[in-house]
Amino acid sequence: MFPFSYTKVSSAREAIDAGRRGGRYLAGGTTLVDLMRETVERPDTLVDITALPLNDIKTTSGGGLRIGALVTMAEAAAHRAVRTAFPVISEALELSASAQLRNMATIGGNIMQRTRCSYFRDVTAACNKRDPGSGCAALEGYNRSHAIHGTSDACVCAHPSDVCVAFAALDAYVHLQGPQGERKVAFADFILRPGDTPDREHDLRRGELITAVEIPAHPRPLKSGYLKVRDRQSYEFALTSAAVALHIQGGVIRTAKVAAGGVGTVPWKLPAVERRLTGQRPSSRLWAEAAEESVRGARPLTHNKFKVALLRRTVERQLRIVGGTE
Amino acid sequence: MSPQPDIAVGKPQSRVDGRLKVTGRAKFAADHGSDDGVDGIVHAVLVESSIGRGRITGIDTEAARDLPGVLAVYDHTNAPRLPYRENPFPDSIHPEGERLHALQDDRVWFFGQPVAAVVATTLETARHAARLVRVEYDTQEPEFDLSSADTREAETYERGDADAALESADIQLESTFRLARNHHNPMETHSIIARWKGGNLTVWDKTQWVNDSRNELAAVFGISKDAVRCFSPFVGGAFGSGGRTWVHSVIAALAARELDRPVKLVLTRRQQFFTTGFRPAYEYKARLGSDRRGRVTSLIHEIRGESARYEFHTEDAATPARVLYDTPNVRSSYHLVPLDIGGPTWMRGPGWGTGTCVIECMMDELAHRLRIDPVELRLRNVPEDDPETGLPYSTLRLRECLTTGAREFGWHRRNATPRARRDGDWLVGMGMATGIYATERMFAQAHARLNADGSAVIQSATSDIGPGTYTSMSQVGADTLGLDIRAVDFRLGDTNMPPAPVQAVAWTMTSVGAAVKAACDHIRDQAVAMAVGDERSPLHGVPAADVVVRRGRLQVRDNPGRSETYEQLLRRNNRSHLEHVGTFSPPDEPEYSMYNHAAIFAEVGVDAQLNRIRLRRMVGVFDAGKIVNPRLADSQAIGGMIGGLGQALMEHTVTDPRDGRLVNANFADYLIPVNADVPDIRGIYVDSVDTRVGPLGVKGLGEIVIVGVAPAIANAVFNATGRRVHELPITPESLIQ
Repeated sequence: MFPFSYTKVSSAREAIDAGRRGGRYLAGGTTLVDLMRETVERPDTLVDITALPLNDIKTTSGGGLRIGALVTMAEAAAHRAVRTAFPVISEALELSASAQLRNMATIGGNIMQRTRCSYFRDVTAACNKRDPGSGCAALEGYNRSHAIHGTSDACVCAHPSDVCVAFAALDAYVHLQGPQGERKVAFADFILRPGDTPDREHDLRRGELITAVEIPAHPRPLKSGYLKVRDRQSYEFALTSAAVALHIQGGVIRTAKVAAGGVGTVPWKLPAVERRLTGQRPSSRLWAEAAEESVRGARPLTHNKFKVALLRRTVERQLRIVGGTE
Repeated sequence: MSPQPDIAVGKPQSRVDGRLKVTGRAKFAADHGSDDGVDGIVHAVLVESSIGRGRITGIDTEAARDLPGVLAVYDHTNAPRLPYRENPFPDSIHPEGERLHALQDDRVWFFGQPVAAVVATTLETARHAARLVRVEYDTQEPEFDLSSADTREAETYERGDADAALESADIQLESTFRLARNHHNPMETHSIIARWKGGNLTVWDKTQWVNDSRNELAAVFGISKDAVRCFSPFVGGAFGSGGRTWVHSVIAALAARELDRPVKLVLTRRQQFFTTGFRPAYEYKARLGSDRRGRVTSLIHEIRGESARYEFHTEDAATPARVLYDTPNVRSSYHLVPLDIGGPTWMRGPGWGTGTCVIECMMDELAHRLRIDPVELRLRNVPEDDPETGLPYSTLRLRECLTTGAREFGWHRRNATPRARRDGDWLVGMGMATGIYATERMFAQAHARLNADGSAVIQSATSDIGPGTYTSMSQVGADTLGLDIRAVDFRLGDTNMPPAPVQAVAWTMTSVGAAVKAACDHIRDQAVAMAVGDERSPLHGVPAADVVVRRGRLQVRDNPGRSETYEQLLRRNNRSHLEHVGTFSPPDEPEYSMYNHAAIFAEVGVDAQLNRIRLRRMVGVFDAGKIVNPRLADSQAIGGMIGGLGQALMEHTVTDPRDGRLVNANFADYLIPVNADVPDIRGIYVDSVDTRVGPLGVKGLGEIVIVGVAPAIANAVFNATGRRVHELPITPESLIQ
């Protein structure tokens, strides 16, 4: 770990001031401190924001939710409003990490968590994300856990979060506060695809602080859920996952919100699947046909070819589970 | 000699050191400090190579040395030359070749090899400084292809005419299996504190064998064994990784000598993957011939196992083919394939688990082909006598393992047709396999001391890496002396104690247990003789054989009222204590063939579309001889079977062939079973006492508990899905169509 200074702030203004001067925000520390130990992250200054009042969950008018950035994963998963309105969020959280980590890690931090690509985390390996221009060791290396969607020649790693997949599916927004004031960014625009600049992961300006995630209101009733496929039963990142939310009325799917995890360089929204579902009557055949859309354009690598079939089946399975037909 | 009844032995006694462990007072190697007389400890951190093969052309340590708190940086340019005397068996268990040397030259044999060590006053400073060391290399192309690389000369075996028998067999099967490299990954990473005083070295080391640590460090530094003392009172798991004294221990001792200060070195989880051994990967080509009734007539096995280039670890991968079943014709060749990797070593069930996995997967295939029940097929091939040596078995309980397991598991409910049973989205299958492991023993000694207050201290330089040796030896000592277990203090893990073998091969209970029994028998006999010959004793004149000791009281067996305590006897005779060193020394040429057997039964669910594979339940039946403590036995059995589950479905150390990098050297990426993966697992021990193995009747348990688990799971996966995967671990992608 490289030496760093630590400061604890008591207001957003103080935080943003420190952030503007290059300080890195510290909440649960479950990603940042780990990566500092590996010397992947070498911040000069840590700005402890845990005293800021960003730890509540509010229902918005119309039935949306606003989840404070410092709400822990465990708190969000257990919250009655979350469980009732958006089970997909609770399920994604509860299938993440371990109980201990969920008690520490925050929603804001979850959005900011960095990839599990082992070449990124090994400072002796080439990685454009960690060390721009050094190359991507994963492209021709061991890339079983890597992405099949949204990759570039510069970076192929998968986004690790589960709950971000649910947020992406639900068209969430990220609320930011910075030196120039507040703004709100659509989730899909906030987490950036690697392109030629995999080191740039978020639409985040210098000093900006995530204050909340907003889930917009969706038509009700909305059935939703999260399916995570992995080698072992717990405590592992997804090989594939699917977040599905469906509003079905009069036997017809009026609204479909679908995203996938473990397969994209960012939480992978599946608009083609959503379009294929909308206006249709639930059926096994529909699930299969819609799931086909999830793998269109997939670019598998040497060790993750299986993810193409697995993603299709994961989406199909989760459509059936949420949509409720055999 | 008077036989003592089993009082503590056979009871599910909880661990005598359990309270120390759960309250954090048990001291593991790195926990020692001023309370133990070691003051002013400084911290060493290793710098590892980032190439797979080549030479170091330059090391820049300036930035590291300039950091306040850094005391020294050692590398091959400034480290003292060490004598590295030979240290052959029986003092060590080094394989053929030469062990990896510590910072002695510029050669890089594998990715992760220590190339420098930083010592600083704090761990944080040392870790940071280690990151500042810059190493330049002349890199050569490393080789990692187990299938195609050149091999060493094979170890071969042949009986009968296996080729002719295969040729004429009714059924001929052939498969090539690929079994992944596994790392031990004990919870406690390897750690050592080294301190020199004058020419004497003391180490607190994580080891399965304190005498190896002593012997190897003495050999490396060219000093007398008497000048080295090793303590290792508690070990947080090892699974074979602590059977040798590795290069990091030498580096810690080297730094401590140079600096004349105690040095602590604790490997990180990542470093634990580099220099403390692993279960080697295998490519195992097997052919099997059988008649129509399922009698196996021929086995031909061609084995390629990965090896380092500097030393050549071999294990019993080829042995199960010779001894598991009554097969008249066997031919095997076992090739080591030197690659640019660190040295493999023993890992739970070494070799036996590998060979048995291959045979048992093929037996399942044979049963399927012949439509014979897999249990029945095994029963048809159980030998009468050892098929390799012709010797009779000391005890053979394989049939009982198979039939008991089938009954307790509910094997009759299995549908032999694959894909026949479903539970929602999940295909459900059952599979079974046999396990075998050689029952072995080794010379061991123990010192027992019975004090005049009726307490006893028993000592032996063995270890307790998890089986509960503190507890089981206390049980044996208590019963043999006739004391309550609370009056017995068993100590271990110090080279000044009487010698014990490495805690491995599941031989500790047999060997050290017998030495404990011998020491305590002698003391009890001495006390009884003293009493019956003492006119002042109520036992005067009683035949010694009629005296038993219970709860510290010597008494006439049929007249317990006629008695006195050890305390009364010893005080009256002005004896502060009685003591004796007991010895267990197995015969050189055994008259019997000795094996542990097991039968493992597993039920798995496989998600029909998503290919998730989950164990649903498992029963293991083991012949371990007499069970000294059923609670500890369960801990071994369940732990071993979970290890087998990991081997079957998860564990796989991945090498990047471009530079030898271990890609998953951490606990997020190297998967082992978590609690949620472990359903109902049950261990059953067949009723068995084998006094031909040793006086306790014990055959050992710690190794057999993993053998046969992986093939039972693989066979269950076949029964569930109809897919034969000749690869471990079996992953979703190996099943996806």
